[in-house]
Amino acid sequence: MRVLALILIGLVSLGQAQEVLLDPRVFEIGRQLRCPTCIAETVADSAEGISGEMRLIIQEQLVAGKSEGEILAFFQERYGDWVLLDPPRRGIYLLVWASPVVVGLLAVVLLMIYIRRGQQQAAAPLDVSSDELERVRAALRQEG
Amino acid sequence: MTRLLIVVVVTALLAGLFWFGITASQGRAIGPTQLGRVMPDFSRPVFARYQAEFGETLSLPTGKPVVVSFWASWCGPCHAQAPTLEAAWRRYRDQVLFIGVNTQDRGNERQAEAFLNQSGITFPNVKDLDNRLGVDYGLFGVPETFFIRRDGTLQHRHAGPITTAQLSAQLEELLQ
Repeated sequence: MRVLALILIGLVSLGQAQEVLLDPRVFEIGRQLRCPTCIAETVADSAEGISGEMRLIIQEQLVAGKSEGEILAFFQERYGDWVLLDPPRRGIYLLVWASPVVVGLLAVVLLMIYIRRGQQQAAAPLDVSSDELERVRAALRQEG
Repeated sequence: MTRLLIVVVVTALLAGLFWFGITASQGRAIGPTQLGRVMPDFSRPVFARYQAEFGETLSLPTGKPVVVSFWASWCGPCHAQAPTLEAAWRRYRDQVLFIGVNTQDRGNERQAEAFLNQSGITFPNVKDLDNRLGVDYGLFGVPETFFIRRDGTLQHRHAGPITTAQLSAQLEELLQ
């Protein structure tokens, strides 16, 4: 019984050791890849078998001297742009990258228009008739 | 007037982004990935029951169209579509090779055998225990069926359970 328990502990440790032995860069790259069979999980975080296999593939390619870009391209070739959590900076995806800048610029322009209008209104002479002015002066004299 | 124009422009911009988000994600899910490309060859161990007829390992044949169907023992739709695939295999077996690939099923070898027993599939099935073939084919889930032309290029990939009509249409196109 004790031997069986030791064997089980050994097997569990071996399974965990596989993850521990992975290069930290595997997780850095895995965080940029979407798990193909999960919802909203990266390859680095997912416990799915396919994600585990993808982590091993990343490790193998790193050992083989492949760069991060080459490894990402390997998965992109197989799964398409979908697998990349950061959409590529080309084509229609430029809209995604450009939209925060466009919205930010639009907000600045709107703010400037708003401020300028306020300043113009403050600087503009009041359109008050002489009768009204006289009424106000009379009221002030009475109070004074 | 200017204010109305700004509201219209901002609304149109946001609506455009919303539309892009919806349509782009639909298109990318099982989109045109790998269509027209030569699919990677493989050599995978064949389930024992098919070895007498198809050998111990199986690869993509040259010069013959192939239907590669990925499945897992825990996958309900895979069970559901098995009779459809088997019927098509019986009809087209002289012209098209069907290969079943058991994937994403590590540790479930017995259940995989039970799946084959239950479904009575007679076309060869291979094991993708390490999911590498699934990664090479850019597999999103199971079931997924790939239609590969004589020249090894991908004609079509179908995600989810396939119907007889969908299968027949793709097979007819493969044979043209």
